[in-house]
Amino acid sequence: MKRCPFQRKLSLILILSFLIFFGCKEYSEHTGGVTVTMKEATAPFDDKEIVESIPRIPKNPVLVNTRYQGGFFWTETRHDKIERFRCSNCHNNNEAPIDKAAKVAHGNIVLVHGPENKPLKCFTCHNQDERDFLNTERGTKIEMDHSYQMCGQCHFRQKRDWVGGAHGKRISYWAGKRTVMNCASCHDPHSPKFAKKWPKTYSLALSD
Amino acid sequence: MDSRENKKDLIQKRNTHQDEKLCGRREFLKGAVKAAALGGSMMMTGCGTSLTGSKEEFVLEWKEYFKGNYRLMTQEERDETVRRMERLAKLKMGADVKISSRGPRKQVLYGYAFNISRCKGYMDCVAACVKENNLDRKSKTQYIRIFEKEHGNMNVTSGNGKYFHEVPAENHFYMGVQCFHCENAPCIKACPIKATWREPDGIVVVDYNWCIGCRYCMAACPYWGRRFNWNKPEVPLKDLTRKQHYLGNRMRTKGVMEKCTFCVQRTREGKMPACAEACPTGSRVFGNLLDPKSEIRYVLKNKKVFRMKEDLGTDPKYWYFMD
Ligand code: SF4
Ligand code: SF4
Repeated sequence: MKRCPFQRKLSLILILSFLIFFGCKEYSEHTGGVTVTMKEATAPFDDKEIVESIPRIPKNPVLVNTRYQGGFFWTETRHDKIERFRCSNCHNNNEAPIDKAAKVAHGNIVLVHGPENKPLKCFTCHNQDERDFLNTERGTKIEMDHSYQMCGQCHFRQKRDWVGGAHGKRISYWAGKRTVMNCASCHDPHSPKFAKKWPKTYSLALSD
Repeated sequence: MDSRENKKDLIQKRNTHQDEKLCGRREFLKGAVKAAALGGSMMMTGCGTSLTGSKEEFVLEWKEYFKGNYRLMTQEERDETVRRMERLAKLKMGADVKISSRGPRKQVLYGYAFNISRCKGYMDCVAACVKENNLDRKSKTQYIRIFEKEHGNMNVTSGNGKYFHEVPAENHFYMGVQCFHCENAPCIKACPIKATWREPDGIVVVDYNWCIGCRYCMAACPYWGRRFNWNKPEVPLKDLTRKQHYLGNRMRTKGVMEKCTFCVQRTREGKMPACAEACPTGSRVFGNLLDPKSEIRYVLKNKKVFRMKEDLGTDPKYWYFMD
């Protein structure tokens, strides 16, 4: 019996398509890709192995009094960033020599914060009676270290994102205990808008 | 007992076989190595160390030349090659580098998100990347491109990548592009010799010693994510980043492909990539996609996100989002 001349070719094609099908399976096996892989990953991540190599940064973090989706988190302290803290060293009822007072008074502060027709004033945020502290709209005394609570009064969307992780940034490490930058680490609280400036470098055209 | 004898037999058979047959490519090369090493060392003792470097360097170079593909090496072999490279860096450049061969961490899949409504085009990330990854200063190689685009322009193939003026410009937004570490990466499929692959933690890497520089992967990448070394990369010794990784920022040679590695030398130690750490606006979010409490998971869950050219099915692990 003579075989059909195409039969061999046909079986070859079949085998080839079989191979191609299974060759491609490497990826299509998890169709949906990374989105599905991610959704299926619900087990808590154990970063103990990595944490060992991570030094605690910064040295004196402040425990934020809100929790994020993973529990507690920390932020940078403000106290050691503020020149001449404590404020009450000067802002007390003692007399100060006038030349010294002029030198350390806050003439260098540029206040560009809030709506143009109704800008913020010093005592919108600073506690008038106890100068080491801030003061919320409701009159609650707030420590400088927890200034994010002040910002969050108006910028509640940004604060929500800061707590969750879509605004602001972590300090140095993606793993380990979560420590993020404070609002005032990046924004000058007196003029919080980012300045126009020259870019750090420039790019050439891609060669290809 | 039996199996050992069998082996002996086999070896003998192979040897006789070899004698009969013409030398195979590998055997020929091995022979050539020995001959050259012998000749070389003889020359070396004659000429001293001034001209072509020391004998030690010569031997290390040869061993390096005939090593295997990194992906197929055992951990011991990886450590060996890394030690050789450290020694060579010392001998050749006088640099004390530390090259790591750390493998991926368990239960980790790296992901990245970029906030296009926050980026101001400052390019601190680009500068930090060049420094961290020892990129060639001569040709001004950069892994990251920042494109300046007019508001409302969502066409991914347009935008000014060469702006140089004060930023942010009125009515413009900025979009960073780099290797997206696709889960279904076309570049990997294009490589004829498997010199580029996806690591278990999702980072797409290149073995710079295995790459033959054919640039197929560059043509296959739809995101302009890869960079080719047309010349010998040059980095001033004082600017050299000494903490390196085999798959990351160790010095490349002329004629090999390289690309963003999510700073594998940093991220596998728990650190953020250099770009994310340098960004002064917090537009760059990096983290573990398999960690339900990570920042990146928060972004993907709560923000409007999109990926570039999603319809291609490359499945990048790099999202753009808006506030
Ligand atoms: S962006 Fe390009 S180089 Fe990076 S993994 Fe995807 S295809 Fe490969
Ligand atoms: S350039 Fe290198 S990595 Fe890219 S396809 Fe060719 S051999 Fe593979």
